[in-house]
Amino acid sequence: MASTEELVEAYAEWRTRSNANPRLTKMLKGWDRVIHFTTTDTAQGYTMRVEGQQLSELAVGHEGQPDVVVTGSSEDFCDMYWGDLNPSEKYMSGEITLAGSQQDVMRIDAISMVAFLDT
Amino acid sequence: MAELERECEVVVVGAGYSGLAAARHLARSAVDVLVLDARHRVGGRSFTDVTPAGFTIDRGGQWIGPTQDHLAALATELGVRTFPTHTTGQGVELRDGARDLYVGLIPTSDPHGAADGIAAMLDLDLAAFEVPLEAPWDAPDAAALDSQTLASWFDTHLTSASARDILEVAVKAVFGTGSGELSLLFALFYLHAGGGLTNLARTTGGAQERRFTGGSQQLAQGMADELGDRVILGAPAETVAHGPDDVVVGARLVAPGADPADPAAEHRPLGVRARRAILAMSPVLCARLAYTPALPGRRDQLCQRMPMGAVTKVHVMYERPFWREDGLNGQIVAPGGAMSATFDNSPADAGHGEIVGFIAGDECRRLERAGPEARREIVLADLELAFGPQARTPIEVVEQHWPGEPFTRGGPVAVGSPGALTALGPALREPVGPLHWAGTETATRWCGYLDGALSAGIRAADEVLRALEGEPVGLD
Repeated sequence: MASTEELVEAYAEWRTRSNANPRLTKMLKGWDRVIHFTTTDTAQGYTMRVEGQQLSELAVGHEGQPDVVVTGSSEDFCDMYWGDLNPSEKYMSGEITLAGSQQDVMRIDAISMVAFLDT
Repeated sequence: MAELERECEVVVVGAGYSGLAAARHLARSAVDVLVLDARHRVGGRSFTDVTPAGFTIDRGGQWIGPTQDHLAALATELGVRTFPTHTTGQGVELRDGARDLYVGLIPTSDPHGAADGIAAMLDLDLAAFEVPLEAPWDAPDAAALDSQTLASWFDTHLTSASARDILEVAVKAVFGTGSGELSLLFALFYLHAGGGLTNLARTTGGAQERRFTGGSQQLAQGMADELGDRVILGAPAETVAHGPDDVVVGARLVAPGADPADPAAEHRPLGVRARRAILAMSPVLCARLAYTPALPGRRDQLCQRMPMGAVTKVHVMYERPFWREDGLNGQIVAPGGAMSATFDNSPADAGHGEIVGFIAGDECRRLERAGPEARREIVLADLELAFGPQARTPIEVVEQHWPGEPFTRGGPVAVGSPGALTALGPALREPVGPLHWAGTETATRWCGYLDGALSAGIRAADEVLRALEGEPVGLD
C-alpha cells in the first residue's frame, strides 16, 4: 500500500519524464482531458489533467468531470509511475481498469505504454 | 438422373454463420426458405472437428470478444458457454533465432521500437475511426487512402524496423496477408469495424478474449437445427439464373459420403426456384458461380479485387500446457517466422496442452509447396526455441490449410486491394435483381469475424423481407 505522499512523488517523477518526451507529447496533441484515478486499496481519489500536450501536476481528490476514470491499487500506480511496471500487463489482467469513451481509453492505454517504454 | 426441383420463397447459398443467420431470420418471419451448402457440414469458416487422437479443435474461427453482441446473444440463446483465453504469464518474442520474454500487448526487447509501434498503432486507429463504416468510400481523402497500401503508411509513420516487424505480425494475424497487399482505406475500414488494431490484436479485452466450450461450430449447428430439413447439405451451387423477380439456383446434390468437390462424384442435379436469393459467401466464391444473365461488371470486378487472405492454422497437442509451469502464456510473436503468432489453446480444464499457431500471408503460400511434414518440422523447431525441448514431442500436430479448401479458398477473410472500395465498393451489398449479398465481408461491424457474419446475414434477410413486401431495393 502506498501513501498519498509516495504516490504524488512518484507521479511527479513520471510527469517530468513524460513531458520531456517528444513522442509522448505528440500523442497528446488535441487531447485535453480530465483523468480521475481511484485507488482500490486506499480508496483515495486523484485528478490529472492533460492540457496543451502537457500533463498537469497530480491533485489529491477528484476535481471536475472526468473523461477517463482509472482504477487500480496504490502500489501498482506507484510502480507504474516509477517506471517499474508495464501498465499494459496490469490492464490486460484486469487489475488496472480504464473507463471512458473507446477512443479516450485507447489513447490513455497507448500513452501509458509509451511512457513506460520510452522514458 | 432426373433433376430434383424444389420451390421456396428465398434460397440461401452458403450455410456458414451468415447464411444460417439470414435463413433463421427469414424462417422466424414465416418466410419459406431453403439453404444450400456445398459441404456435408454447416459452419463454413467455423469448423469444429475431432482429431485422429481424439481432441476437439476449432479448425477455423474460434474466438469471441467484447462488443461482438450478435455472437454473444446467439451463444446465450443456444446455451453455448465461453471461457477465457489463457493469458497469464509472459509471451515469447522470437527474432532472428533470438528469444526474449515480454509482458503486455507487444514485445519490448527493443523498448524504443515498441514505443514507436504503439504510437503508430494509435495513429492508425485514430485514422480508422474517421472512416465511415457504412460507406468507407465516402471517407475524407478516400481516393488517396485507397490508392496506397497499409505498407506505404507504415513506411511513412514508423521509424523503427523492429516496430515494423511487430506490426506486420499483427497485420498478418488479423488479415492473413502482408500489409503490402492491403488497400490502406480497406485496412482502416476493417480496423474501425473491429474497434481498432489494438483491439483486434488483444486477447483479454479484445478480439481473442474468449473461446466456446466445445467449439464455435455448435452455434452454426444450433441455427441449422432450428431450420431442420430446410438446410440441404452436400449441394454445391453452380448456376444462378434470374429474372427481375425470380431466381433458380442450380446445384449438384451429391451422395452422402461422396466428395462434393469432385465433379465425378455421384450426384443428382437440384434446381431451387425462389423469389429471392441470398448469396452468403465470400466475394471470391460468389464470383465462381455461373450467372444468367451475367453479373454487372462492377459486381464481378469488385469480386476480382477482394482476394482471400492465406492462413494455415496449426494445432499442436501436448500432455499438458507445460509452458505455463515456466511462467509463459503460450503466446509467441515471431517476425519472419513461419508461424508469426501463437496462442495457448488448451481447453478450459487444461486437460491437455495445446498451442494454436498461424502461418499467414506469404509464409502460408510459400510453405504450401513444402507439404505438411516439412511444415510440422518448421513449426516444432520454433516451438522448441520458444518453450524448450518438451515442445519437440507433441502428441499430435493437426493443420488446417484454408487456401486448399475447395469451398473456402483462403482465410480468414477477403481483403480489399487498392482501388477496389472507391471504384466499386457500393457493389459489395447492392442487390442485383433478386440477388442479395451476405457473408462477413459485407458486414459493417466486425467485418471478417463470426459476429460480422451474423449481422450481415440478418441485414441481407431484412433487405429480402422488404423486397418481398414490394418495397424497392438496391440502386438499379
